[in-house]
Amino acid sequence: CKQRRKFNFCTDCNSKTHSADRCPNIWRSYITLPQNKAHKFKYPADLIYCYNCAERGHYGDECLQQRVSKTPNINGSAFTGENLPRELR
Amino acid sequence: NNNPRYPWIRNNDHSKQIEISDWLTMEIKDFIKYISPSAEEIQARNNTVGRLRECITGMWPDAEVHCFGSFATDLYLPGSDIDMVVVSKARNNKYDNRSSLYQLSSYIRNNKLGINVETIAKAKVPIIKFVDPATKIHIDISFERTNGIKAAELIISWIKDTPGLRELVLIVKQFLAVRRLNVVHTGGLGGFATICLVRSFLKLHPRMATRSIDPLENLGVLLIEFFELYGYNFGYDNTVVAFDEDGDPYYVSKNSNAAFQNRNPFTLAIQDPHDKNNNISRGTFNLRDIKRAFGGAFELLVNKCYDMNQATYKERLGQSVLGDIIKYKGKQR
Ligand SMILES: [Zn+2]
Ligand SMILES: [Zn+2]
Repeated sequence: CKQRRKFNFCTDCNSKTHSADRCPNIWRSYITLPQNKAHKFKYPADLIYCYNCAERGHYGDECLQQRVSKTPNINGSAFTGENLPRELR
Repeated sequence: NNNPRYPWIRNNDHSKQIEISDWLTMEIKDFIKYISPSAEEIQARNNTVGRLRECITGMWPDAEVHCFGSFATDLYLPGSDIDMVVVSKARNNKYDNRSSLYQLSSYIRNNKLGINVETIAKAKVPIIKFVDPATKIHIDISFERTNGIKAAELIISWIKDTPGLRELVLIVKQFLAVRRLNVVHTGGLGGFATICLVRSFLKLHPRMATRSIDPLENLGVLLIEFFELYGYNFGYDNTVVAFDEDGDPYYVSKNSNAAFQNRNPFTLAIQDPHDKNNNISRGTFNLRDIKRAFGGAFELLVNKCYDMNQATYKERLGQSVLGDIIKYKGKQR
């Protein structure tokens, strides 16, 4: 059995970054695998890298360094700790 | 629906999907099925390669003929070139000279193995270019260059250990090809570099790294997020895409290695998995257009998702999500 869980990124769709009809949750939704004895989700310690500063240990959306890309990241991206399965956050 | 610009949607309507990203996933699969070679096309390509190999080793019994590039890795689009390389069995660079180059090109011409035969002797990598008379496919033959063979072996192992890699690479390659951004000598993104970017993205993605999704069921959202990463967020001025000995991806700062520093900081840097001091995307000087194209694809895809999410079933009928970013030019299949 598959579970579908919405990416829980914007908590308030009336927030200033977008209106409800342009909410990233409309497309950023994953068909997730069930976690059970046979299939455990794995904390990806050695696969967490920052697209912005290249350091290990945090994702680019959470980077404290100045943003390198001149293109703005308004709604957040896939590369955030928020996008880890809830069990591993 | 019979729109000739996106023929893969014919008889494959997914407009009733509730989630637009599922619709996109299904269209990606339809597109890949559509552009995948038929059994006859595979046979014809294999025959061409086999015939050439026989002729060359007939002429030079101590030579080996290998394929590399997209043909060897099964990542080719309809009409893609075949890349071949002649190496001496003893690996003594015996065929790395002009007389071998001219000997083989006259042999191909005289035996009608190729049409429009061109011998390019003065390039950094001297090659013979010609068109196979049977399939009309373009063939390039080089001499004694083994790095392509090594790269092909690596890519084959990556395809095996990374589900979704082949699918996303084919889509991104077609996307780049339509915009002529896939040719390295005009500053575009080459096949191997494209594979490196897709693999790094997939392996480092939080949902993939935790093994909480099956990529083949999530190709739609992953494609959008690929464009999001490399079109919007990636810190090209600072960050290098790298792979360790086991092929696991990581990022490293450009400052850490002189090989990645450049007068223009806005350049793509991908560390050669076989040589830490080599940037395999050194020739990709047109990063500006590539980044802009990726960003544009992100925007078009998400806007299509928002539109289709609000559309009625009647309005959705016969629509293509993928068709906003990929057109299929060429013969109908
Ligand atoms: Zn929202
Ligand atoms: Zn950072």
